[in-house]
Amino acid sequence: MSGTGTGLLSARGLHKSFGDLSVLAGIDLEARPGQVLSVLGPSGCGKSTLLRVLAGFEAPTSGEVLLDGVRLSGPSADRGMVAQAGGLFPWLTLRDNLAFGPRASRRTGTQVTAVVDELLSATGLDGFADALPKQLSGGMRQRAAIAQVLANRPPVLLLDEPFGALDAQTRLRMHEWLRALLAERPTTVLLVTHDVEEALLLGDRLCLLSNRPACVVDELPVPFGADRGRAVLADAEFVRLKATVLERVLTA
Amino acid sequence: MSAALLEDVLVPAGPGPAHSRARRRGRRLLGLVVPVLLLATWYVVSDREILSTRLLPGPGTVATALAEFFTGDRNDTLAGVVPFTGAGPEHLAASLTRCGVSWLLAVLVGSVVGLLLGLSSLARDLLDPILNALRAVPLFAWLPLALVWFGLGEGAARAIIFVGALWPVLVAVGDATARVPRGHVETARMLGTPRRWLWRKVYLPSALPEVVTGLRLSLTLAWTCVIVGELSGTDRGVGAMMSAARETGRTEQVVVGIVVFAAVGLLADLVLRGVTARWVRWSRA
Repeated sequence: MSGTGTGLLSARGLHKSFGDLSVLAGIDLEARPGQVLSVLGPSGCGKSTLLRVLAGFEAPTSGEVLLDGVRLSGPSADRGMVAQAGGLFPWLTLRDNLAFGPRASRRTGTQVTAVVDELLSATGLDGFADALPKQLSGGMRQRAAIAQVLANRPPVLLLDEPFGALDAQTRLRMHEWLRALLAERPTTVLLVTHDVEEALLLGDRLCLLSNRPACVVDELPVPFGADRGRAVLADAEFVRLKATVLERVLTA
Repeated sequence: MSAALLEDVLVPAGPGPAHSRARRRGRRLLGLVVPVLLLATWYVVSDREILSTRLLPGPGTVATALAEFFTGDRNDTLAGVVPFTGAGPEHLAASLTRCGVSWLLAVLVGSVVGLLLGLSSLARDLLDPILNALRAVPLFAWLPLALVWFGLGEGAARAIIFVGALWPVLVAVGDATARVPRGHVETARMLGTPRRWLWRKVYLPSALPEVVTGLRLSLTLAWTCVIVGELSGTDRGVGAMMSAARETGRTEQVVVGIVVFAAVGLLADLVLRGVTARWVRWSRA
């Protein structure tokens, strides 16, 4: 899994319709290795559908999804996806949740333990290894859900509004935590969100979608360094860009 | 374990965590109030002969009969074929075997068919109407047919218990598997779980709490069906003993049968809950 490619995820001419309802109308995009691509769009524009197609949960009506030039179909362990409500299995302890992916990939017991222990400490959840998901707070659950997916060391991480259900303070903490986490493990990340601030805080590039049926209306680089923290929120350039992008989204 | 479980049985599980333990203990005693009152009333009614002891033998008479049933010397027989004194273990073993075999078979068939219904919409469309129709047939309505097919005795008894125990398992397994959230299945697939392992990694654990409820209902029903089955001409079993005792007018022995049924039913449910507790803990509030 890791090291089998560089993790270049591309979509070419993706169309998706449900019956007469056209949701995606020819999406072309590229998520580059080691970068975070923030996909922004108006509410209900088909962002989640796009991510589900990229993850392989839905087949595109036409077009294709490629990972390092290889055409993909169906879900697999090389694209980890985290949704808003998280994917933790409620009947498993945190430790078993994190071990789920490595075990499915038939890693040995000691390998699994090593990966899980490392992720438990990276998520600051060491003390909760034997807790059930329902015993964790919302922020802890989302950290754990991301760790569960990262345990497989997927080259690509797909995030569908992963912090959408959290309060503003927790969300900000999660942004900083995720940046730090990704700095240590280069991963191609595609983040779908409707939150402009989140898109700018986490993204290296920004991709703007139109209203449904969605197509890409603009792509732009995010001009802040990889080490940006919450201090950047007060940066005049950040504030100006946020206002511009928000205007674009609202009128897209 | 048994103390905690008993507490669970006598006190409906409240939301209270550890801090309300003292209160729960108080509540557990509350659960004993009604049985003690009933026992006292029973004693008074039979002691003052408000009701004839032939209709309602006193608690003392029943206790003596109960002791005789399990520990007495095997000598007298009732109605020529069904023994009472000292025959408790034999009758109990016959009933338990009958119930156990039929219940396990019902669990097996119910799980397989239920899984099929839960996982395949084709199976659901094909089988749901007929299964729902059959499910509506009263248990007693199967008895004549069971007697025709299997003859008086063991076969008919087992068939009746099987039919009674089947539906709760089938419905619980079918509903629970159909209700497994799609998100769990997708997460498992995305984490690299092969399709053929989904039933074990996702469907089974996710459905278990509901399935366990179905198993408990089913076991209780199987145990209640034992009496129906044993009316079909068996000469061993608690129900057979009660039937014979009624014919010879030994009401205290009939009551012994009721006591044994109640005690075993309660115990079986406790054991089942104890065994399955760790599978369903996650779903408790």
